[in-house]
Amino acid sequence: MKQLTYQIRSVRWQQILFMILMAGLLIGTDGCKSTGKISKKERKAQIEAAKKQVQSIIDGTSTLSLDDQKQLLGDIMDKNYNDPALNSLIIKAQQKLKTALAEQYKIKQQMVDAARAKLYDLLLNKDGKTADQLEQEVNAIKAQNLKDSEIDELIERAEKKIKDMRAAGSAVNLPVKTQIENAFDAIARFAAGGNYTQADNTIDKTLKFFSSDDVPVLIIISREGTIVDYDKPTTIKRYMNFIRDTKASNNVIDAIMTDANGKIKGLDLIKK
Amino acid sequence: MRKPVSVFMIFSLILIVSGVKAQDNISPQRKQAIDSLALEKVRDLSKYISIIGDKQTPWSDAQRVIERAVELFMENSEVGVSSLGRQDVNYYKVREYFDRLMQLNYDKVTIDWYKIQYVSDLVRQPDGTYVGVITIYQRFQAFDKEKGLVYEDTTKKDITVYVKRKETQIGGRLIGFWDVMLGDIRVKETSK
Repeated sequence: MKQLTYQIRSVRWQQILFMILMAGLLIGTDGCKSTGKISKKERKAQIEAAKKQVQSIIDGTSTLSLDDQKQLLGDIMDKNYNDPALNSLIIKAQQKLKTALAEQYKIKQQMVDAARAKLYDLLLNKDGKTADQLEQEVNAIKAQNLKDSEIDELIERAEKKIKDMRAAGSAVNLPVKTQIENAFDAIARFAAGGNYTQADNTIDKTLKFFSSDDVPVLIIISREGTIVDYDKPTTIKRYMNFIRDTKASNNVIDAIMTDANGKIKGLDLIKK
Repeated sequence: MRKPVSVFMIFSLILIVSGVKAQDNISPQRKQAIDSLALEKVRDLSKYISIIGDKQTPWSDAQRVIERAVELFMENSEVGVSSLGRQDVNYYKVREYFDRLMQLNYDKVTIDWYKIQYVSDLVRQPDGTYVGVITIYQRFQAFDKEKGLVYEDTTKKDITVYVKRKETQIGGRLIGFWDVMLGDIRVKETSK
């Protein structure tokens, strides 16, 4: 009896209690584990909810973006409800999404094409826009967020051009047409005042707008319907020397033709 | 099958004939534009002559202007030169005239043209060229550094002008332009 009492006392009761607690904990958590199965009622509810979501895609009433709709449809298919009605709806929704995505792609391509053409125009600046005007148009294209690498590259180039225009001074912000007409007037004014050095400097500076000294200059003397009469064609350098020599600038710009580098490759003038 | 071809040919012929006709009978507005263009060329020449004669004009500029002035003339055209001191009028080829003008032995020369106007309107010739005569008055003054004004005269001169429509291709565009060429400059009278 004494020996039994000794043995009972020698047992580490604290350890045993701890082990019992741990075992209980493990058994308890195991009992809470999901079996992965849902009740018929829950499954039915999920199918109904899926049907509603798929139907909204078919009806075009879904507020989700097309990409999100596509993702949603994929998620529903992954659940593999194996419901004939739902499957039929999924097929319809897939067709609907395919058409909508194709349409979206087409619209995006059209926007990309329009933006590309616009950006090339801005880079050439055919209309002689100011830096501020160019910036406004570039920002409008940026706001479309087209996510197209070519457009992004063109935007970068256009922004660099705007930066360069601003860095080159405020005069550059004037439209090219105005700058050239101002230069013609300045050449005449300097020559009339006997300041030929300034006239020559203005000629040299203005020539930089042109692809070469020999860019053709046409002067319209009469325009009647489709019949246009010109003076004998000349070149930009000769024309500016003519202004210098005659000390008069009697023509304004009617049209400017530019090359791929934005340089003027042809100029049409008309009598003031 | 033959009928549409014939209709097309007749239509083309009408277009060609009407086109030619349109060039033959130019509207008063177009004619006025051509008249003005020819007068303008003479005014340009007057400015060139003034530059070439000006002793202040650098040699290189004078040479460039001579080239431009020569281009205004038809080949072999002549310019008459008169003087109060002699009866005869000397005629020089255009380039020689300009070279002599540049080298006149005075310290200062001023040449002004005024009353530039048609004495004979531009009239269309059978070959399509328009020919007319423009008259100008030239005031010539020569100065010596010490003596001041040493010579002056006023000369009335007649310039024959030829205007012809030509076509050229520029940058893929067919351009119809009026080529104004000056002919001989004849001295009509010289006075003090």
